[in-house]
Amino acid sequence: MFFFILTNNNSNKMFFLFILFFSTLISISSNSWFGCWIGLEINLLSFIPLISNSKNLLSVETSLKYFLTQSLASINFLFMILIKFSLLKNFDMNNIISIMMNSSLLMKMGSAPFHFWFPNIVEGLSWMNNFMLMTWQKISPMILLSYYFNKNFLIFMIIMNLIIGSLGGLNQTSLRKLLAFSSINNLGWMIFSIMISENLWLFYFLIYSMMIFMMISLFFLMNMYFMNQLFINNMNFFIKLNLLINFLSLGGLPPFMGFMPKWIIINFLLINKFYFLTFIFMMTSLIIIYYYIRIIYSSFMFNYFKMKWVNLLMKNNMSLINLSSFISISSMILSTFIFM
Amino acid sequence: MLIYDIWFLFIYMFFVGNLIFVSKNKHLLVVLLSLEFIVLSIFFFFLVLLMFIDYDMYMLMVFLVFSVCEGSLGLSILVSMIRSHGNDYFQSFSML
Repeated sequence: MFFFILTNNNSNKMFFLFILFFSTLISISSNSWFGCWIGLEINLLSFIPLISNSKNLLSVETSLKYFLTQSLASINFLFMILIKFSLLKNFDMNNIISIMMNSSLLMKMGSAPFHFWFPNIVEGLSWMNNFMLMTWQKISPMILLSYYFNKNFLIFMIIMNLIIGSLGGLNQTSLRKLLAFSSINNLGWMIFSIMISENLWLFYFLIYSMMIFMMISLFFLMNMYFMNQLFINNMNFFIKLNLLINFLSLGGLPPFMGFMPKWIIINFLLINKFYFLTFIFMMTSLIIIYYYIRIIYSSFMFNYFKMKWVNLLMKNNMSLINLSSFISISSMILSTFIFM
Repeated sequence: MLIYDIWFLFIYMFFVGNLIFVSKNKHLLVVLLSLEFIVLSIFFFFLVLLMFIDYDMYMLMVFLVFSVCEGSLGLSILVSMIRSHGNDYFQSFSML
């Protein structure tokens, strides 16, 4: 993200990026709920200049929609904080006030049933802004969610997240919307892991953001926004292999890196006898992997669409792609060598 | 007691503000106005709550600063939209 800002002669956005990082830290390390709200407001204030670019009609609309949903969510959050403060409900986590607070945080994150803005906005942003939206903007609402959550409500929301994330991605041709629905699905896994322990959530989140970074940097370097751009036949073989590995890793297939956090969560689910929830986790993952494999097989094996005038100059500096392939394949096995 | 009827006013104002926010309007400015109305209801609520803590109004000022920042951000996005689209009608949106 820094590299992108520096190369595009946009170094006045570095200021907003710095404040964005600070806002999350303010929000998660505050002593009171009011401090959390302040962090969320600063987050909104510093993210809007990053995404708004007045030369483009689409980015104006995107920043407007983002502003409306996020400001509504944070103002509702503050109202619920005040009601919680006035009724003195600090330790009772199974009431309607925790449902309302969790709902406003879920709306900030883009999780179902408040997810309708998320694919629209992702469609209107560039790849690097998408990366910030999908990874960094989720940290602060998630950690705030773990401070005061309603277990029954959240399990229902997790199931909705998984189902909507998997079924919504079936009819997409735009790569950004595909990653948006995949992000909604992974939000289901992440909300469940934050209900277990924050350490587990951190593990899942780091691996997820690393996978998303690899995919988004690949799409960004090749300037690909739609699926029909994946079927270029004179793409370098290693780029296609990297695409295959990253997609399968994101879906959670075993020898790749993305399987590890899901394995740990399924282990927890089975030990504690959450059988129905395990079934839903598995089946929705299956739908997602089906959709990824459908894309990759067409792009890999068939002579689908040949464009003769595309000349991808990625033959000289392949180190980033080789490194990301290496990390995706071997990190699960190498992680057993770490004695913690 | 009469003093506890004021809670209904806050909740009513909050819900009416939310209702206007989600309603179908022609202009974007109405939506931003409804946001400011919700902010006003929260301001009033905060004022009454802080009166029970010996008139310590500093937190209210911090809240006011942040909500004014948010309102001005909304207005700047409105200005940006008018500069690019020409009006602030919701019909000029073209994204799904």
